[in-house]
Formats: sequence, structure tokens, C-alpha cells
Amino acid sequence: MSITLDQVTKQYQGNPVVNDVSLAVAEGEFFVLLGPSGSGKSTLLRAIAGLTEVDHGRITLFGRDVTQVSAREREVGFVFQNYALFRHMTVGENIEFALRVRREKASERVRRRKELLELIGLADMDDRLPTQLSGGQQQRVAVARALAHKPKVLLLDEPFGALDAKIREELRRTIRSVQRELGITTILVTHDQEEAFALGDRLGVMHLGRLLEAGKPTELYSRPATRFVATFLGAANLILRREVRSSPESGPRALPGRRPEAGPAYRREQEVVAMLRPEEAELAADRDELTTSFLGYGHVEDMQFTGALERLRIRMSAEDSGRNDDAPASTTAPVWIDVTRTQPEQRAFPLAPGQLVAVGTRRIHVLPTPLSSFTVCAGSREAADALLANPWLTDLAARMQTRLSAQVEPGLESQPPVPGPAPGGVAVVSAGPGCPARVRNLLDRGVTPVLCLPEDAGAPGRVVVHFAGQVARRATLAMTASLLRHVPAEAVFLGILPSGSPERTRTAGVRQLLDVRSEAQAGHGLDVRTELRLGDRIQELLRELGSQPGQMLVLGLPEPGSLPENFEALLTQSPGWPVLLA
Amino acid sequence: MNGFRQPSVLPGFGLTLGFATFFLSAIVLLPLAALVLKTASMSWSDFVSVVMSPRALASYRLSFGASLVAALINTFFGFIVAWTLVRYEFPGRKVLDAMIDMPFALPTAVSGIALTAVFAQNGWIGQYLEPYGIKVAYTWLGVTLALTLIGLPFVVRSVQPSLLEVQRDLEDAAETLGATPFYIFRRIIFPAVLPALASGFTLAFARAVGEYGSVIFIAGNLPMKTEITPLLIVIKLEEFDYNGAAALGFVMLAMSFLLLLSINLVQAWGRRRLVAARR
Repeated sequence: MSITLDQVTKQYQGNPVVNDVSLAVAEGEFFVLLGPSGSGKSTLLRAIAGLTEVDHGRITLFGRDVTQVSAREREVGFVFQNYALFRHMTVGENIEFALRVRREKASERVRRRKELLELIGLADMDDRLPTQLSGGQQQRVAVARALAHKPKVLLLDEPFGALDAKIREELRRTIRSVQRELGITTILVTHDQEEAFALGDRLGVMHLGRLLEAGKPTELYSRPATRFVATFLGAANLILRREVRSSPESGPRALPGRRPEAGPAYRREQEVVAMLRPEEAELAADRDELTTSFLGYGHVEDMQFTGALERLRIRMSAEDSGRNDDAPASTTAPVWIDVTRTQPEQRAFPLAPGQLVAVGTRRIHVLPTPLSSFTVCAGSREAADALLANPWLTDLAARMQTRLSAQVEPGLESQPPVPGPAPGGVAVVSAGPGCPARVRNLLDRGVTPVLCLPEDAGAPGRVVVHFAGQVARRATLAMTASLLRHVPAEAVFLGILPSGSPERTRTAGVRQLLDVRSEAQAGHGLDVRTELRLGDRIQELLRELGSQPGQMLVLGLPEPGSLPENFEALLTQSPGWPVLLA
Repeated sequence: MNGFRQPSVLPGFGLTLGFATFFLSAIVLLPLAALVLKTASMSWSDFVSVVMSPRALASYRLSFGASLVAALINTFFGFIVAWTLVRYEFPGRKVLDAMIDMPFALPTAVSGIALTAVFAQNGWIGQYLEPYGIKVAYTWLGVTLALTLIGLPFVVRSVQPSLLEVQRDLEDAAETLGATPFYIFRRIIFPAVLPALASGFTLAFARAVGEYGSVIFIAGNLPMKTEITPLLIVIKLEEFDYNGAAALGFVMLAMSFLLLLSINLVQAWGRRRLVAARR
């Protein structure tokens, strides 16, 4: 591996700008870091170059730990968005700057300069001043300058940002061919997904300081693991669906293209988030005419002609849409599906606004997130409304682009529990005195995960993760991964051993923590920090959560579906903290 | 660059140019012409005897020498002050920034008296310098000090905008290319602010040459030793020797003009590449 990042973290005024990013880039690879502005991608790139110090973590270049090494000695080439050429030097002087710094012989300088000018296709521009060149030419010079000292790594920070579309494409091709020719390991930062697809051997998508996913462009496009990546890489319809997990072939609504994933055995039905790309949707006059699986009926609400493609927005009719037949009544919000059709498709089935169509899906992809949607469960309307008004919860649901609804259940706190329709997704109950009873009621009905939310809870700045027993391990990691992708907070995984554990047990505990870390990384592309504590499990957690305000707990219960009595203290503290448990 | 015939917010090119010429003539050229005319009424031998008298020569040396030293000191420290103000965030930065302009606003006599009080033999600072045999007030050191005080804002205000313009990216770029901080300063930052620094120097120097109010209090005004040329002119005026005063004024004018012109030429030569490139 030529570039290795290990839990790199950079805080700015207490907020993590880059949050526990781990990444390995292979030798000669062209890696593209993609993300919206403010996602931390540029900061991460500057950290690799040594222009920004990191607060935590390790950066390795070709096996050499450079975390404490200055930018001058890292042997990287860096290209800036605004070119950053030295305006009082000619093109040639700019290019040989690094060689002059290194006191190379004049003959060598001239040779290298010629070579580089040739490489970027500006052979006769040697004596020009940067200001006499066009933007695209200036950026070429900047690339040549960054390559002069034969760095092992080339880093480009939005290099096409200041250029217009045509020059951008030309320069993109130049950089790609230069990179191939030299075989230099390259990281490019951009917010433009088209650029990322065109250039990258591999992409990494950053959001809120975290590296959400990394992979080949085609893989990330067709099989994203997170909502953010699904919607950021191209257009995507996110659909909430209920599915019966134990028997994949049950009923006509089994989803094609779904990766079968073994859920906990006690759980029979589950709500999932499915992604439908606009180009994977099929439209027909009637269900029987579809050649693909039927999703539902809908009306054409909006049509746009955009040249090669036609963009349509279909408003799905609630009674026919696939997701609602057994969903709670509060989920009748309209669902729009965006569809794009090619010219042949348009000719085969011309449409007009308002027309009723059947929507089919060629390929649908189920996201592996356990946090599909949020349903507030409360004994009364008022209590439900109070929870619904929690700004952090509404914000979280909006960030996840998912549904936030309420379900009033008068029998929620009665014992024995009165069975009702199981709420979809994450059940949200208010924390406080009656919380354990509410949680037990939900768990008995097979509802997980459950979020216990103090009414005045704000956005957490730190997430403490703990699971009490190996059974809960998978579910806990999945919840953590999904949550952290939408919450800009640092996370720490707490392992707790009974005090007075023998040395052997402690070693095993440390090994287990490391296993968790690698499992989180392999399974979810998520890196978590780990800490080991000795003491009583509940006492340690209470102390950790009470140590500073603004924390949150993600908790894996020792046995699925039951809340041990000694865990109640975690839910009833006041002022408390949000607890997400499964 | 825009051609100067392009429409602008001020009316007509002819009108504005006419006004500029008239204004410059009335305020600057006319008094200077009077000075030259007055001088021209002297005979050559009278002129030479006034301007080449030992007392006059000593005063030129002090005036231009002290001004030069003061301007050089200001160029150095003014750059550091500007750097501090531009590059660092610290409490009281705004206050310090505002204080830079105070020598502009302060009546020069006030600063002269204040300096004298502080640096006199029994003053706050003077009393500690006395045992070491360093005399500031009533020596050429005092003259230089006064001229330094009034020249500082010129350098700071000239350099500040051009330092702001030096993008951090340039330094970062140089650093990734292997340059040491000193190399970056010498090859990237310094060339970028050099024109501004030169014009700051010129302004501070010109201001110091013409300074009168603050110097006469701290100089002690001993003939041949701490007498600046402007003071000599005032002395001539008080003796009703108008021709002698005009002759000395003419010499100062000529020397200042030559010096400023040569500095500007050097600057223009240094900047030509950049200016030409921006077209």
C-alpha cells in the first residue's frame, strides 16, 4: 500500500472535520475522494500532504510513518484549485522550483523542465508568465510543477474547480494520461460525481468528516451501502418496504436483486430501505404489460425533456404502492418516484402528464441499514407530539431522507403488554421513568431497534458503543455504522471486563476489541476507536455517559428481545442521554 | 486593463482630465513655480554662497541622512508590523491596527514634545540611557527617532494590502515542493511585496525629508550639528532673507524630486514584467 491512513482525525474548534478516517490506496492507483463541500475531503488531502496537522491517527506513505513529518519532507506533489503558481516567475521557473530548492544542476533542471513541458503539452510556453496563460494552461503548469521532483504521490485538490466545462474535460484527460504514463499514486478531491466516475480507479465518498464508503465506481453506483452514497452518486429513489426476511421467495413482492442477509431469528418481518435508480424503473400502461417486477401504480406528475433522456416524476398511488399494505396508517405520505427514460422507451410508450402508469423495477437494491425509518411510539397523542418535536430527531430523519411518523398506543405501558401493529423501522420512545416498560413492550413484539429519547435531547457530540454479549455484536455494529453516517460525532467503542479479571482475560478482551474494529471496517467500512474498561458493566457505562453532556449510547442487549433489570438505570437517568438499543 | 476611454461613473474624460490638471496646478505647481521664480531672481554667486555654505551642507547631510536611516528602519519594522497584523489573530489586533494611523493624525509638534520628554536626559527612557553615554534628545539620534515615528504608518499601510494578496496557497505550494520557510520568504513572499515595500519606503522617506514640527523639539537645533534644512529655511525667513530661504527650498525640492524619481524608476523597472503580464 502506498498511502495508508489510520484513524485520521482533525478537529476544528472542537468539531471533527475529519473523523476517524482509515483508508489504504494501492501503488499506482487513482483514488478519488468525493463529497459535498464541508465534508472534510480537502482537509484530509491537506493532512496527507502535511499542510494540516492531524489531532489523532497515523499517515503512512510507502511504509514510512509521516504523521510528524513536515510537508517539505513528505515528497508529495500537490495541485491547488486556484493553481497557486508563482506569478513573478516564468512557466519554466515555476516548473523547476522544486529542483532549484534541491540545488539540482542546471543541466538536469533544463532537461527535466523540457520533459515536463512536453508531458503536459505546453512545450513552447517556457518563457511565458503564468498570467499570460489561460486557466487550463495554468493548471497544466501547476501539475508539471508538482511532478518536477518526482514525488511518489500526487495530490490534487479540486483541480478543475475554476475551469469551464470544455477545458475541464480536456484537462481531465491530460491528467488521466499523465497519471497512467507515470504510474504515480494519485488522490484527487472533487465534489463532482461525473468527474469522479471518469477519473477514479476507486472512489471514496466522504460526508460529515467520515469516509462512508470506498470502492470501484460501478460497485458504489449499483450497490451502495448507505443512503448518502446512494443519493449522492447519481439520482436514486429511496423506498421504504416491508419484507419477510425468513423466506425470501414468499409472495409476489419479493425484491429482485436483494442480497439475502440473515437477520436475527426471532425477527420475522422487517422494514428495509430499497434504492431504485431512475433508469432501472419501467413504465407501462398496465401491470400485466410490465416485463419487470411490479412496484405500484402512479400518476405522471411532471415531465422534463433533457436531450438524451426524459425525466419523469411519478406520484405513486397509496393504495397500490407496494410498501403500504401492512404499514401503520400514519405512513400514507405520498411517494414520488423519479424515472428517466431513453428515446426508444419514450417512443414505445408516449406519456402525458396526469396519465396513470404501472411502475416496474428492473433492479432494486436493498441498503443494509437497520435504521430504515423512525416511528414515535407513545401512550398519548401529546406525548407523541412532544417526541416528534425533538429537533435532533427531526433533523436526523431529514438527514437520512426517511420517514418520521407517530403511532399512538394506549396499551404501550400496560402489563402484560397489549399487542398492536408493529411499528416500522426504529421505534422511538421517550426516556425517563416509564421507559423500561415501554421498551419491554416493544421488544416483546419483536420490534428493534428502539431509540429511547429524552425529550430535550440535542445532537450528540460523542457516541458510546457497547454490546453486552456476542449475540448482539452484529446488530450493534450495523446500528452504529448506520447512525454514524448521519451524525457528525466522534464514536468510541467501549469494551468492559469485570474488575479483577485475570491477565489472560484482559488480553482476550483487547483482542476482541481489535476484532470488533476490523469487523466494523470490513463489514461497514467504518472505523471506530476502542477503549477497554475494567469494572461493573452498568456502572462503567453510567460513569462514561455522565462524564460529559451531549453523549449518546448505542447498546447491544445481552439477549435479543429482552431487557435485563440492571440495564434499566441506563434508560431512566435524568437528565439522560439518547439510547439506541437492539 | 481597461482603456481609459471606457465609460465610467464620473462624467467625461475631458472634464476630469481638465479638472485634474487645474487642481494639480493650483495646489502643487503654482507654489513650486513661485519658489523657482523667487530663486531665479538671485544672482548665481549669491545662490551658490547660500546653498553651499558649510551650515547648509551640514543641514542637508542631517536631513537626508536621517530621513534615509529612518525610512530604512521603517521599511524593516513596518514590514514586521504589517506581517503581524495580517497573519495573526490576537486580542487587540483591531486596536493596534487603528493605532498605526495615529502619527498621521497627531500634530507633529505634539509627538516631538512627547519624544523629547521621554528621551531627554531625565526622561523616562533617557535617564536609563544616560549612564551608557547614549544621548538621544538633542542629537542626530533624536532627529532620526522623530522621523521614524512619523514615517511608520506609510510603510505599514503600503505593505498590508499586498501581504493580504499573497495567498497562503502559494506558501503551501512552495512547502510541498520542498522549500524551507526562509526560502519561501526570500523567493515567494518578498518578491511579491517588494513593490509595495518600495513605495512605502519612498513615502516614508519623502515625508521625513519634509518634516519640521516634531524634529525641532527633539533636535536641539545646534548649527552644524542638529539643524535640519527646513529649520534653516525658517531661520532665514525670520531674518527676512527670503531669497536665501527660497534657494534652500529649491535645493530640497530638486534633491527630493531626483531621489523620488530614481526610486520610482527602479520600481517601475522591477515591476514591468508583472504589469506587462497582466494585460
